[in-house]
Amino acid sequence: MNVKFLNPFVEAATEVLKAEAQATVDRGMLSLQKSMLTTDDITVLINLVGQLQGVVLYGMAKATGIALVSRMLDQPFQEMDLLAQSGVAELGNVISGRATIKLADAGLNTTISPPTLITGNGIQISTLDFQRIVVPLRTEMGEITVHLAVRENNQEFLPGSTVRLIEGATTSPRAE
Amino acid sequence: MNVKYMAPFVSSAFEVLKLEAGISANRGELILEKCPYQTEDITVVIALVGRITGNVFYSMTYDVGLSLVSRMMGEKVMELDNLAQSGIAELGNVITGKASVLLSEAGFEATISPPTLLVGRGAAISTLDFPRLVVPMETECGRICIHLALRENPMSYEKTNQIPIPSRPGIR
Repeated sequence: MNVKFLNPFVEAATEVLKAEAQATVDRGMLSLQKSMLTTDDITVLINLVGQLQGVVLYGMAKATGIALVSRMLDQPFQEMDLLAQSGVAELGNVISGRATIKLADAGLNTTISPPTLITGNGIQISTLDFQRIVVPLRTEMGEITVHLAVRENNQEFLPGSTVRLIEGATTSPRAE
Repeated sequence: MNVKYMAPFVSSAFEVLKLEAGISANRGELILEKCPYQTEDITVVIALVGRITGNVFYSMTYDVGLSLVSRMMGEKVMELDNLAQSGIAELGNVITGKASVLLSEAGFEATISPPTLLVGRGAAISTLDFPRLVVPMETECGRICIHLALRENPMSYEKTNQIPIPSRPGIR
């Protein structure tokens, strides 16, 4: 697990939160965790597939989620209703999508899965043998914790994403 | 959500359970759900990305999970420790991997993500605008449910299938 993968996510989160919710983001201390993660009130789970694979989780308190959505949609929310849930999930989706563009610029082609929203605190999430880099992002609306558990994948990306070499064309007899 | 995506998962699950745990399974009644999934004790989450995109969950109770792992390892496992967790996650991984091979043979290529394991009952997992097809499977170890929240995604596949054109060919 390499810290360099984290920066695109932190940058993307800062940009997206600023654009969507006019929030200023203050990055907290990084930590590396191996134990299971106990969920916050709201957790957005997005998987990464490609040259970087693993999972990114965005955790926040219910109040933070509601405040974020209220700002994003410019109307007060009281409850995490369907619209609010979809708003929070979309935020995670946009941040991750933006982060993958930055990763692609750095030479790591990665695709993200649709977001999954986990509500209800106290359940445990294990990323198994993937270590998690955890970074809290402090905003005016509360803290958003980004958990990144990824590793580089040296295997071929999606089948069909590369041009197959013509059999025999690359094996020159002189090379042997 | 199309029911045709289900068959590869069911047949892979039957095959893998037979091979890894030596148990046979029967498919129960299908349910199509739109409301969030209330977690059971153990849930394996795996995403598919490609021509088919979405999430697959495998859910079971503690007892079912422990009895599955006990069968897989050939020894009595009493506790959901790291090894047991990784066993259950791996089971989900192998079933999904096999299913993705069958799907790609049917023309729906998809890559799967590494598994994530959720432990704890009563949280709500929402797949948002993806309805879930729930396939219960009755086995000798108990009930395992497969939740499929998938849809076809020809766009992103087309994109990844193209060779990017360099902006200045030949110059790096």
